[in-house]
Amino acid sequence: MSNDGRISGRTAEESACRFLRARGYEVVARNWRTIRGEVDIVARDGSTLVFVEVKSRSRPGFGGPEAAVHPAKQRRLVAAARDFLGRTGCRLPVRFDVVAFLGGEPRLYRDAFQVDETCSPDS
Amino acid sequence: MFARLLSGAVLGIDARLIEVQCDVSGGLPLFHVVGLPEKEVSESRERIRSAIKNSGLSFPAGRITANLAPADLRKEGVGFDVPIAAAILIASSQVAVPKARYLLIGELALNGQIRGVRGVLPIAVVASGSVDGMVVPRENAVEAALATDAPVYPVTTLRDLVAFLNGETGIEPLRVDREKLLRCEPPPIGRDLAEVRGQVQAKRALEVAAAGGHNLLMVGPPGAGKSLLARCLPDLLPPLTFEEALEVTKIYSSAGLLEGSASLVRRRPFRAPHQTISYAGMVGGGHGVPGPGEISLAHHGVLFLDELPEFDRRVLETLRQPLEDRTILLSRAGVSVRYPASFTLAAAMNPCPCGYLGDSMQPCRCSLQDIRRYRRRLSGPFLDRIDLFVEVPRLSPDELLAARGGTESERVKARVTEARESQWARLRGEPGCFSNAQLDGERLDAYCELESAAKSLLKRAVTRFGLSARAHVRIVRVARTIADLEGAEKLSAEHVAEAVQYRAAGESLGT
Repeated sequence: MSNDGRISGRTAEESACRFLRARGYEVVARNWRTIRGEVDIVARDGSTLVFVEVKSRSRPGFGGPEAAVHPAKQRRLVAAARDFLGRTGCRLPVRFDVVAFLGGEPRLYRDAFQVDETCSPDS
Repeated sequence: MFARLLSGAVLGIDARLIEVQCDVSGGLPLFHVVGLPEKEVSESRERIRSAIKNSGLSFPAGRITANLAPADLRKEGVGFDVPIAAAILIASSQVAVPKARYLLIGELALNGQIRGVRGVLPIAVVASGSVDGMVVPRENAVEAALATDAPVYPVTTLRDLVAFLNGETGIEPLRVDREKLLRCEPPPIGRDLAEVRGQVQAKRALEVAAAGGHNLLMVGPPGAGKSLLARCLPDLLPPLTFEEALEVTKIYSSAGLLEGSASLVRRRPFRAPHQTISYAGMVGGGHGVPGPGEISLAHHGVLFLDELPEFDRRVLETLRQPLEDRTILLSRAGVSVRYPASFTLAAAMNPCPCGYLGDSMQPCRCSLQDIRRYRRRLSGPFLDRIDLFVEVPRLSPDELLAARGGTESERVKARVTEARESQWARLRGEPGCFSNAQLDGERLDAYCELESAAKSLLKRAVTRFGLSARAHVRIVRVARTIADLEGAEKLSAEHVAEAVQYRAAGESLGT
């Protein structure tokens, strides 16, 4: 990934956190990573634990930023979430959200995807 | 949180009550449906998720498990969408736990609309008495109300259902007036007998077939009016009784063939499948739980097979057992279903491949071998099950040009109905037996008393034509119907003679 992309990604994560806090989320962790995957933001929304993927694109096209959370990415997010739950022993219901930036405007996709039975080793 | 609701599954024309259980717990967002669901039941997850979101409700985070109990019964169909969605909403505290025992059924569209499903009538029959109410799609409401005295609540959207279960809005239970439904007679749909020129003998045979539910085979050259005669048959038959109508409606409900809100089948079915029909299409089958075939869709009505020898021989042979037993048992791995199949077989064929054998005007171009091969397509045992063989000859020029018009069917129907009524009166104490064609064994002896002249005539006919025991029984049944058409108590020699003559016409076919 180019240096520019990295910087804009970091900026996006910053503003995503502000955006989520404004909506009542409580950010628990950021850039949480294990060997199997990584999550940009872990937050609590009421009694639900939310794993948030932040996506940004400077230009429209390629289906928009939200389209970038493809199955392989979803699997990495799920794997990371599983590790997080395992390590913290958290028993809350879990949700996956996506915050997408397009031209600086954040948009929240609540419950962006579910765990697919076929891709989960345990279920 | 845990929630459970009642729903139902169809198995042929019977049904089982199914308990839909749902558990919403912590963990990764995962939505399972267990309890031996078929593909379409597993796919309900996507419909349910979208329908809940698009109804302004929230799909709960975390892990959701829906179970359909008893878990060893294969679950088919899309009717579980609504009960599973409702159970999820109850388990996630968006809907109050219902105080009454409701049965829920229906398919969900992605926008939260509730769509009609098949098999609601058999489920309502089973649920009757064990539920406090049924919540069904609007399309299926009449069907459900026909079979149960429990209140039936029609719903059209998931939002309606939620408001109802939460007690926010009431739904007026739908009631149907069964008496009124039975009284209104369906208008004629077929052709009138007056449209058929000439063919006095064939019309008489048609009347006898209609009056007693006897199987009929018409043989004649192309263009003589065989198909037209057959098309007259539906309007000659008396309307279904309530018990018959309910049985037929069950089959059509299970097959998903009930049209709109006209939910009680009032007309005797008339099914005319094409020659290319497969045997699964004829007797029933399909993936998963076997569905009803044409013979069951023609239950209490007529199955018309035009160009009989053109049907696959294997398909025709599968008719032998249901023609005798009036029911069919379809057994597949892990599931067997019994469908009723009490139909009158009406069939038509040409006398030979070119069609003109025995014709007075046009010479037949077939070799003897061609004719043999053509007729060999119909087996002896199959032909043995036909009661009335009738020749439908080419019309003479005079007959062709004769004026036609007026109505004839109505008068014939009146006679047929009278004959049927005397049969019903006679067979009142015999469950599942509605017509002379169903008389067998002791019933045959009890209800068909032959005068002595009739007896000796029958004896001579049996010797002369070398008739099988089955053919003999069938002659007596037909004679009973002919006597009924005349209002006679005993079977006279004339009755038997006419019956024998319908039989004799078929003996030449068997060679």
